[in-house]
Amino acid sequence: MIERDVEFGASVTFDGVSKTYGAVKALSDFNLSIQPGEFVTLLGPSGSGKTTALNVLAGFVEETKGDVRVNKKSILGLPPERRNIGMVFQNYSLFPHMNVFENVAFPLRLRKMAQAEIKKKVGESLAMVQLAEFGDRMPNELSGGQRQRVAFARAIVFEPSVLLMDEPLGALDLKLREAMQLEIKRYHKQLGCTILFVTHDQGEALALSDRIAVMGEGQIVQIDTPDRIYDEPNSKYVADFIGTTNLLDFERLSPSLVRFSDIGVDFQLTENKENWGQGRNSISLRPEKLHRDISSNDQMITFDVTIEEYLFLGNIIQYSVRTKSGKTLLFQEHRGPSVPILNRGEALKLAFSITDARPLEETTHGIGRA
Amino acid sequence: MTKILRQVAKVAVATLVVVGSANLALADDKEITFSGSGGVVGKVSKEVWFGPFEKATGIKINHVAAEAKRMPQLEAMVKSGNVLWDAMEVSASDYPLGVKKGLYEAVDYSMVDPDNKLPADTREEFGVAYAAYSQVLIVRTDKLPDGKKMESWADFWDVENFPGPRALRGRAEDNLEFALLADGVPADEIYKVLSTEDGLDRAFAKLDEIKPHITTWWTSGAQSVQLLSDGEVYFCPSYNGRITTLVSSGIPAEIVWNGGAMHKSYLAIPKGTKKLKEATEYVKYRTTSADRMREYVTHLPYPGWAPGLFDGMDPKMAAGMPTYPQNQAVQFSASAEFWAENLDAIQERWTEWLLQ
Amino acid sequence: MSTKKKIRSTWLLWPALFMLVAFFLIPTLDILRASVYDPEFTTKHFTKLFSSNVYLDVLWRTIRLSCIVALICAVIAYPISYFIVQRPRKQQIFFLFLVFIPLWMSVLIRSYAWMVVLGREGLINAILIGLGFTDAPVKMLFTTGAVYVAMVQILLPIQIVTCYSAMTEIDLDLMRAARILGAKPWQAIRRVFLPLSLDGTVTGAIIVFMLSMGFFITPALVGGRKDIMMANLIEFQVNQLNWGFAAAISIVLLIGTVLCVIIIKRLSKILTGRLVGGGNA
Repeated sequence: MIERDVEFGASVTFDGVSKTYGAVKALSDFNLSIQPGEFVTLLGPSGSGKTTALNVLAGFVEETKGDVRVNKKSILGLPPERRNIGMVFQNYSLFPHMNVFENVAFPLRLRKMAQAEIKKKVGESLAMVQLAEFGDRMPNELSGGQRQRVAFARAIVFEPSVLLMDEPLGALDLKLREAMQLEIKRYHKQLGCTILFVTHDQGEALALSDRIAVMGEGQIVQIDTPDRIYDEPNSKYVADFIGTTNLLDFERLSPSLVRFSDIGVDFQLTENKENWGQGRNSISLRPEKLHRDISSNDQMITFDVTIEEYLFLGNIIQYSVRTKSGKTLLFQEHRGPSVPILNRGEALKLAFSITDARPLEETTHGIGRA
Repeated sequence: MTKILRQVAKVAVATLVVVGSANLALADDKEITFSGSGGVVGKVSKEVWFGPFEKATGIKINHVAAEAKRMPQLEAMVKSGNVLWDAMEVSASDYPLGVKKGLYEAVDYSMVDPDNKLPADTREEFGVAYAAYSQVLIVRTDKLPDGKKMESWADFWDVENFPGPRALRGRAEDNLEFALLADGVPADEIYKVLSTEDGLDRAFAKLDEIKPHITTWWTSGAQSVQLLSDGEVYFCPSYNGRITTLVSSGIPAEIVWNGGAMHKSYLAIPKGTKKLKEATEYVKYRTTSADRMREYVTHLPYPGWAPGLFDGMDPKMAAGMPTYPQNQAVQFSASAEFWAENLDAIQERWTEWLLQ
Repeated sequence: MSTKKKIRSTWLLWPALFMLVAFFLIPTLDILRASVYDPEFTTKHFTKLFSSNVYLDVLWRTIRLSCIVALICAVIAYPISYFIVQRPRKQQIFFLFLVFIPLWMSVLIRSYAWMVVLGREGLINAILIGLGFTDAPVKMLFTTGAVYVAMVQILLPIQIVTCYSAMTEIDLDLMRAARILGAKPWQAIRRVFLPLSLDGTVTGAIIVFMLSMGFFITPALVGGRKDIMMANLIEFQVNQLNWGFAAAISIVLLIGTVLCVIIIKRLSKILTGRLVGGGNA
């Protein structure tokens, strides 16, 4: 294992950072605080500003406004080479004219480290990513996953205070991607470094992160732990982006009476009435929160649907169903001996608990700043 | 296999030549293909010679302006048996080359000049001299020292009395003769002297004197004109016809006829042409029609020897001709034979001398 | 690969191979043949060639001139290509267009244009005299320096295009990677960009070198007395219909060119090795 100095694992703060390209705002008043050793993911579609945030931290892009601090010290104006930040690029960016050893040794040579020490450090790094025997190979002789590991070894060999990862798994196939996710988790645990990870893959973000910052239009829309992001999205935007969900519109007829016109149900609220106000007019309902109408109590909402189509997902079946008003919803259930597969055209009753419905803000961004 | 491919290559080359020589594939009997000069000469020839010739004889002339050097092209044609030209212009120095290689038909003088009216030295076995041109010293008169006049090659060599940049042609021909003249060799002894090893050394020794004062060694007539008109050099030998370009663009320049090298251009008939009679017809027309020639020299001062050419010519114009008796008297006649014999050896020495 | 497939893919190469053989190999062999058969086997042309100082002297001058032209082109083209490659796509096309414009003009015209610029009464001298830097015109035309200027101007676009296309192959993220790993801008260029673009640059330089070896109009127009090229000698012999001797000179020029290209390749390999190899920057 690599010995690390105290600095490995620094805090990072974005303080009101803005970046504009002409009229386009790539980042607007971006705020984020990362604890030492924390794994934070910036999640969002392309153009949401996540890569710009990463590039500002790396020093490739100069911010228009605001401050960026690492370990409470501003790094404003420092060129990339003096920030001591590790970075893993999307396409690995291994130097094609250097072998694996020289690639990993590159940052150490620039730091004028003695040859013996370089050998030792590179050896340790390559051992960590299980490529100790591959020092003589050229990058084009490696598989995608191996290149990814070399890129990782190179990014951490000089013990950077922060490690940035820009869609590092984007170019790998699904199976390898899942294996590498586990690897990255292991490295993070071993090294204890601060990691800022960028991806547009919500599954990846949910699997890896201590906290996820969902980005939209240059700002953080919601930042929270993966489970809370999944269970309690604060807006339509987040609910839609994370996982699959059903959005049902509602109308407030009185402070305690809401009408779901999509399913033709009026419901009397008994608790958390304040969650249903303030411009909220739709709910997110995860497909697995819908059930066949078996039992009912006063917190359950029941409605009629017809089966339109179903997808076989292994241990799960996903149905698309049509309500009486014509809206299509998704509904999932685990397979089992007591759960027969429903046929197309079959009519049935579905139910969900009001506590599983999450009223959403209409706006797509600008809420819930960290 | 190689043989076949070489045949294919030959056909390909021949095809390229055909394409380059434009529309002659379907030439009828009353048309000949003539390889002549491009530019002004070509334009004037069309007007003065080709049109009237067709009117007079019914033979149409398909003019192909020579782009590259003619001799390598001619040899390729004759050797492959695909002769695309029926008549051609040949420079004085190229004439012996073609004779040596057997590239021309013999001239039928019973047709061209039955009464023996052309001067004897224009009637060669394989070609008829049709025009004279001279390489003469051209002087920028505005760059001369006050009251002085450059009159000879000795003056050209005299850098004390005639300071200023000069140029020479980058070939041995004519320059060795000019050097000997500057060194005091009489014009009629030049080639006798040059034929000896000592004489050759003497010419190069004289050239040594002027070498440091030569700004550049030109390779084309157009370049020599450019040099004089840009004021890049003040004194420079060039072809006599080039003075017209300078004078007409308002540059004060004049020819020093004294010591000029007079050359002959020939008309020859490529060996193997199928239009021998028609081609000979044109040779006759081009070399003996005095009135046409008189018209021609009003455009370009390259006269031939058609009997009676100077009869009734404007005296001022006549004075600009290289064959005008007063001009011819002070020039020497460049020896094509000497150079055909010695050029290879001398050129090598010349190049070596340039590099020293 | 199955035999059938192999045959089919080889077959596709035949037209190219035929062109190469018909228009390159056979003419070259024919020149070789012409240099030693005239009409029987003879070494007289080569004996004559090597017994005179002129031809090897001119060969050496030609090589030296071509090497210097190629080197100047490479040194000038490199930063220009680097600049272009870092522009946005649309600007790249614009700049390449600018680079290409001179290629549409004939070499002859461009050579004459340089005569106008560099002459005694030319543009530069007019400016120098007008500004009072000098009283008498500076001699620039008809010098070897003028040959370098004109040939570099003529051949530079070719070098830039080759250089540029090699550079577009380089992932610019590699430079970012180098920077964040601790390289100063010049270190990133020297240790990453330069070694990766060197091959293309050398290829361009070799093309320029080979084209220079065949130049003769430009040196004759703007050069001095000693700027004689091998091609001038060949042209003279061809015009004299001395095909055999012309062929012999051509063969010597060809061998000289090939040897030089091999040496340049070797040198660039050594250079790349040193750029990539260990040692602190």
